[in-house]
Amino acid sequence: MSIIVAKHLSSYRDPSGFIFEKEGTIYRQVNKIFREHFDHFINSGCYRELTQKGLLVSHEVVHENFDDSEVRYCTLKPEKINFISYPYEWSFDMLKDAALLTLQLVRESIPFGIILKDATPYNIQWHEGRLIFIDTLSFEKYDETKPWIAYRQFCECLLGPLLLMHYNKSPLHELSLSYPDGIPLTVTKKLLPAKSRLSLHTFLHIFLHAGVSAKGQHTNKNESSFSKQKLLNLISSLETLVKKLNLPQQTSTWSGYYGEASQRINYLDEKKKIIGRWIERLPGCKTCADLGANEGAFSQLPAVLNIRTIAADFDPGCINSLYIQLKKSGEKNIQPLILDLANPSPATGFNNEERKSFLQRMDSELVLALALIHHLAIGKNVPLDMIANFFSRISQHLIIEFIPKEDEKIQLMLKSRKDIFDQYNEKNFEQYFTRLFTIESKEPIEGSGRILYFMKRR
Amino acid sequence: MILYLLYIDPGSGSYLVQVIVAAVLGVSMFFKNIRLYIKSLFHRRPKKSKDNPSA
Repeated sequence: MSIIVAKHLSSYRDPSGFIFEKEGTIYRQVNKIFREHFDHFINSGCYRELTQKGLLVSHEVVHENFDDSEVRYCTLKPEKINFISYPYEWSFDMLKDAALLTLQLVRESIPFGIILKDATPYNIQWHEGRLIFIDTLSFEKYDETKPWIAYRQFCECLLGPLLLMHYNKSPLHELSLSYPDGIPLTVTKKLLPAKSRLSLHTFLHIFLHAGVSAKGQHTNKNESSFSKQKLLNLISSLETLVKKLNLPQQTSTWSGYYGEASQRINYLDEKKKIIGRWIERLPGCKTCADLGANEGAFSQLPAVLNIRTIAADFDPGCINSLYIQLKKSGEKNIQPLILDLANPSPATGFNNEERKSFLQRMDSELVLALALIHHLAIGKNVPLDMIANFFSRISQHLIIEFIPKEDEKIQLMLKSRKDIFDQYNEKNFEQYFTRLFTIESKEPIEGSGRILYFMKRR
Repeated sequence: MILYLLYIDPGSGSYLVQVIVAAVLGVSMFFKNIRLYIKSLFHRRPKKSKDNPSA
């Protein structure tokens, strides 16, 4: 009887191969149709060069046959990616580096007679403290007479969003959620300000590109007029443009929070001491999620104990600062992520199964929810029982900070709105949480009125 | 939007525009190279790093 493995639900587009899961391990099957390209990619030394430079995820060839269908050529076991994230969860500089990585892959592959055929940011993931390309089957033999097949995809998925953020000076990562195949050039063109036309590179890659495409002349009989030098000029132009783009650090809602918080005597130090002590009580813990991480000061606590930590915050400015800081420090255990807990990333794509929701991907043994509960309870009106349910769904162990209503931050929030939060108090908090968790430890943070709880799911 | 655009494979790329863009860039590179050459007569340029941009 023939054995055929089930493709991963996001791996249906490319006939060259697909990924599949077997007993918790991800494999990639290469199909016979792609054999010539794949062999050239490996034998030319391109694969070795890209993996050695840390641009592409490495793999080992698996001799075990999971699939005896006619189409199979070989099976690969790529290095494990611990947590899959998507461009709509990345900050500006992460997307910018993803764009530069894509262009660098094109540039580095050309001398080996290889070209990158896809330029979607979904092929890029966070791995060991940096962004890395994961699709080994995106490299094919390069025909010098042909232009770059992924050019439009690059402009729509990476360049367009970056330009919009740059010119509008706003983090617009959510746009990638609405346009999973990239923002159409005609849309980007309309959303960009008139002054952006004055940049030669922007004019060529967006305005001219959109104009020519709109005329429907997508193919050209004169394809032989292209050359390697022309392609390199195109890549240089894109690199020059992307490198110039930036999103000025804005005074966001919570940037500068630590500076302000540290002025409260001993508050941060005291909190770090208690949390550090509690994390050490979980010696086998491997994964943690710091929700409402701000710039990740508390994410460092599990990270130094070699616990892989997702540092998530709804403020793109904070996550961007954290990303820049991680790039400098080389810390590998923290993964920055933009996430609004009141509206976490949904499941998207075909059949709503192509890309999982944040909660489907989330699998952390420990969750930190520090100075967070009032944002959900007061800021977003989420009742305490719903908050308790939410945390019991996502965490085995929970370190949560309760902020009393008298706290100056809550008073600030209530200044501009009616206090409809009679139920928000310590007694109710404990009552709802103890239905689902046992309280292992409880410690007030001296001088702040705030209380830290260490809980375990029942 | 012109209706037939809906039938174009989005992965097919934009061939014609690349030919035009490459031609414009070729001219711009020509002048840039002249400028860089003149500049290089006065000082040397530092070598670029080749690491992963996100590393």
